[in-house]
Amino acid sequence: MRSTPKTKSRPPRWFAGLVMIAATIALGGWVVTHFPKAPIGPRFVGAGNETPQAGGTFIFAEGSNIHTLDPHFAYDTLSTAACRLLYDGLLDYDYDGNMIPSLAASLPEVSDGGRVFRFTLREGVKFHNGRELTAEDVSWSMHRLLSERIGSPGYPFYKSIIGAPEYHTGKKDTIEGIVVLDARTIEFRLDEADQTFLNAIAMPFAYPIAREHVEALEKAEGPTAVGRNPVGAGPFSLRRWERGVQVEFDRFDDYWNPMARPAQMVFLENISPDVASARFRNGDLDIIYRPSKVSRLFIRNSEAWEPYRVDVPAAGLFALGLNCELPPFDNVHVRRAMSFAIDRSKLERLNPGKMIAATQVLPPMLPPHDPELPEAQTFDSERAKEEMRLAGYPDGIPEPVQLWVRSAGEANYAQLFQQDLKAIGIDIELKMVTFATYLKETGRPRVAQSAFTGWHQDFPDPSNFMDILFHSRSIHPENSENRSFYRNPKLDALLDAGRAEVDKAKRLELYAQANALLAADAPWVFLFYPVELFAWQPYVRNFRQHPVWLHEYRNVWLDLPRRRVSQDIYGQEATQ
Amino acid sequence: MIRFIVQRVLWGLLVVMSVVTLVFFLIFVAGDPAVTVLGPQARAEQIADFNAKKGLDRPVTEQFLSYLGILPCVRKDSPKYEREDGSRGFCGVLQGDLGESYSHHESVARVIGFRLPRTLLLASMAVLFELIIGLTAGVIAALRRNRWSDTLIMFSTFVGISLPTYVTGPISLLLFSFLLGWFPFGGYGVDPLDHIYHALLPAFILAIAGAATYARVMRGELIETLRHDHVRTAKAKGMPPSQVVIRHAIRNALLPVVTLIGLSLPFLVGGAIITEKIFAWPGLGLLTIESIESLDAPVIMAVVLMFGIAVQVGNLFADIAVAALDPRIRLND
Repeated sequence: MRSTPKTKSRPPRWFAGLVMIAATIALGGWVVTHFPKAPIGPRFVGAGNETPQAGGTFIFAEGSNIHTLDPHFAYDTLSTAACRLLYDGLLDYDYDGNMIPSLAASLPEVSDGGRVFRFTLREGVKFHNGRELTAEDVSWSMHRLLSERIGSPGYPFYKSIIGAPEYHTGKKDTIEGIVVLDARTIEFRLDEADQTFLNAIAMPFAYPIAREHVEALEKAEGPTAVGRNPVGAGPFSLRRWERGVQVEFDRFDDYWNPMARPAQMVFLENISPDVASARFRNGDLDIIYRPSKVSRLFIRNSEAWEPYRVDVPAAGLFALGLNCELPPFDNVHVRRAMSFAIDRSKLERLNPGKMIAATQVLPPMLPPHDPELPEAQTFDSERAKEEMRLAGYPDGIPEPVQLWVRSAGEANYAQLFQQDLKAIGIDIELKMVTFATYLKETGRPRVAQSAFTGWHQDFPDPSNFMDILFHSRSIHPENSENRSFYRNPKLDALLDAGRAEVDKAKRLELYAQANALLAADAPWVFLFYPVELFAWQPYVRNFRQHPVWLHEYRNVWLDLPRRRVSQDIYGQEATQ
Repeated sequence: MIRFIVQRVLWGLLVVMSVVTLVFFLIFVAGDPAVTVLGPQARAEQIADFNAKKGLDRPVTEQFLSYLGILPCVRKDSPKYEREDGSRGFCGVLQGDLGESYSHHESVARVIGFRLPRTLLLASMAVLFELIIGLTAGVIAALRRNRWSDTLIMFSTFVGISLPTYVTGPISLLLFSFLLGWFPFGGYGVDPLDHIYHALLPAFILAIAGAATYARVMRGELIETLRHDHVRTAKAKGMPPSQVVIRHAIRNALLPVVTLIGLSLPFLVGGAIITEKIFAWPGLGLLTIESIESLDAPVIMAVVLMFGIAVQVGNLFADIAVAALDPRIRLND
C-alpha cells in the first residue's frame, strides 16, 4: 500500500518553475535552430516542354466563399471566376482589353444609330450536356436573367433593351427587344443608343445556360438548384462542389476553342492569405493572388521568384469623396486645394508595391487614361494654398472637416495626409463608421461631409467609372451611386454623348474631356490605384494576368511532370 | 426528474426566444442588408429590387412576426409566398423554414446543413483530446502531488490556459505543416479519413485551453477525494491502490469536470470560430463570420437560434449527467 507523500526535502516550487522556464527557452532555441529552412525559391520546376501539354490538375485558392455557380446571380469576384470556367458569353475581352467574339462568330452588326445589335452564333458550340447552343438559348437565358421571379442583380445593366423594364416588373410576358431571327441569329433592340450594352453582353450575367437542364432542376429542387449544379458552354464542366471547401472542374473536350488545358482545375475556398502563402511556397498551390504581407514582401524581393511573379494594377481606385452639396466642398476651389495638398507618395511608402499614386479617375490600363493630363491631381502645396486663397479661405477653414473612414487601414492613410491638409488650413476630424452604416449614410444627400471611397470596374469602359459615379442621374434620395452629389450639366452632356457614340475614336475623345473635367472639378480627391501581386509555379505556363477577369486560367497549361528541386540547394542558398 | 426537465426546456425556450428577438432587432439597427450584400457598387435599383424580393421594405415588426411564422410570408422569392388559391402562405421558423441566405442563394437549412457536421467533427475531436489529455494529466498530477511530474504538468497547464488560439494556431501551422510537413495546411480534405486527418491539428489547438482547465480541476478534485473517509476505508480494506483510485476516487472527482464539459460544449462550437478561420476549416464558425460581415440576416438568425439551443441543451445535459453520476443529487431539490 502506498503511503502518504514522503517528507524528504526537495527544491522549492519557485525553483522548479524557474527550471521549467529555462527548459522551455532552451527547447524553443533548439527548435528555431534545428528546424528545416523555409525554401527561398520555388520547390518545383517544370519538365521543360516547349509545346503546350494537356493534362494535370491546376489548383488555385481564395480567402472567401463562392456564393453561386448560377451566372445570373454571380456578382462577386469568386462566383464570377468560377462561372468563367463553366460558361462562356457571346463576347469576351482579349488580353489587351479589346472586345472579341466568343460564342458569337464575330462582333455584332450595329444598326439604327447604335440601337440595334445583331449577333450570329459560332457554329458547333455545345453545352456540357452535349446539346448544341442556339439563339433560342441565348434569348431564354436573357429572359430568365431579367425576370421578376429570379430577381438577378444584373437587371440594371440590360434595362435599355426595349420591353425589359415591363418584363422585369411582370407587366409583359416577353421582352420585345430580344428577337430570335433564326437558329443562329439573335438581335437586341434598345430604346436608346448605348455602346456600353456590348460590355453588358460580355458580363457573366449574360452567359447562356442550358434551358432543359435549368427547368428540370428548378422543378425538382427549387430555383436555387442551378447555383450548385450548372450546365454551361464553357471550357470546364463541374465535377463536384464541396461547399465552402473546393470546386472541382473537368476539362470539357467539346469546347469550341480546344487548347492544351489541364485535365482538372480545383478552386479552393476559404483559404486565408497566410495559409495560401504557405501552401504556395510549399508547392501545394499552383498560383497565388494577393499573398500575405510577409510572403508578398518575400516573393517581391526574391530573385528566385522574379521570373514567376507580376505586379498587376487592379482596375479600380481609392479616393476621398467630397460632398459637393455641403460646405466647404460646395466650393470648387476648396476641392481643388484638397486635391493638390495631399502628398500621395507617403501612401506609396507606407505600402511599397501595393499602390500607384492616382491622378485621375480612370486607372492606367483603361483608355483614355492620360499620364500627361494637364488637369492631373498631383501634390503641389503652392497651388493648394493659391486655391484656398481663391476659395476665400486664405487663413484656412475655421471649422474642422469631418472625414468618414470604414476601417483602421483607412484611418492610418488619413493620418498620413492630415498634416498635409493642416498645412493649407484644413483640419480633418476622422469619423470611424461600420461598412453598413457607411454604405447607407453616404448614399443620402447632405449627410457625410467627406468620406473614403473607391470603385472597381464592372466592365472595362470609362462610362463604368464616370456615369455611375458622377452623372447627376445617379443621385437619389437614398442609395445614391453618386456619393459626392456632384452635378454638372456639362459632364452629363459629355457622358450622354459618349454613351451613344458609335465611333470609337470620337467616343474616347468625349470621355477624355470628361476625365479632364473631373480631375479639375475634384468631386473626388484621387488617392491611389491598388496593385496586387500574382506569383505562379515555374511549371505553370502561359499565364498572363487578364485586364478584366481576376482569376483567368483558361489558357494555362502545366509543364508536367514537375520536378522537386533538391532541398540541399535551398539549404545552401538559404545560408548565403 | 421529468418535471425538472420540462421546466428547464420551457425556461430554455424562453431564453432562446429572447435572444432571437434581440438579435433580429440588432441586425435591423446594424445597417441595410441589401446595401451590404450587394456591395458598395450596388445601384439604387438593385437595392430596391432586393428589398422588395426579401420583404425588407415591410415594417420591421411585420418582418419579425413573419420570420417567426405568426404573420404571412413577406419574402416574395419564397415558394410559400403565394398559395394556389392566391392567398399568402407562411414561411417562418414555426413552419420549419429558416429562410434563404442573402448571399449564398440557397436555403439557410442547406447552407447550415453543409457546415454543421464539419464543426461537430472538429468540436467532438477537440472534446476527445481535452478529456484524454486533461484527465490523464490531472490524475497523474494528483497522484504525483508536489513531485517534478506534478510541477511540470501544472506549469504546462498555466502555459496552455495563457496561450490564445490565434497564437498557437498560426505557430503550429508554421511548424507542423509548413516546416515539418506532418499535417496538412488547413482545409477540410476530400473524404472522411482525410477530414479526420485535416482536423487533427486544429482540434488539438482548440483543445489546449480546455485540457489545461480539466487537468487543474481534476487534480484539485482528486486530491480532495483521496482524503475522504471512503477512500481511506477502501485502502484499509486492502483494495489495490489502482482500484481505489479508479473505483472510488476518480468517479467522485469527475463530477465538476462533467459539469464543465456540459457548460463548455456550446462555447467549444462558438470558440471554434477563430480556429476555423486560422485553419481554413469551413464550418459554422467561418460561416458566422462571413454572415456577420455581409449582414446575411437569415443565416445570422439561424446560427443564433442554434447556439441558443446548444447552450440550453448543454446545461441540461450537465445537470442530468451529474445526477446520473451522483445518486445523492436529486434534480427536483
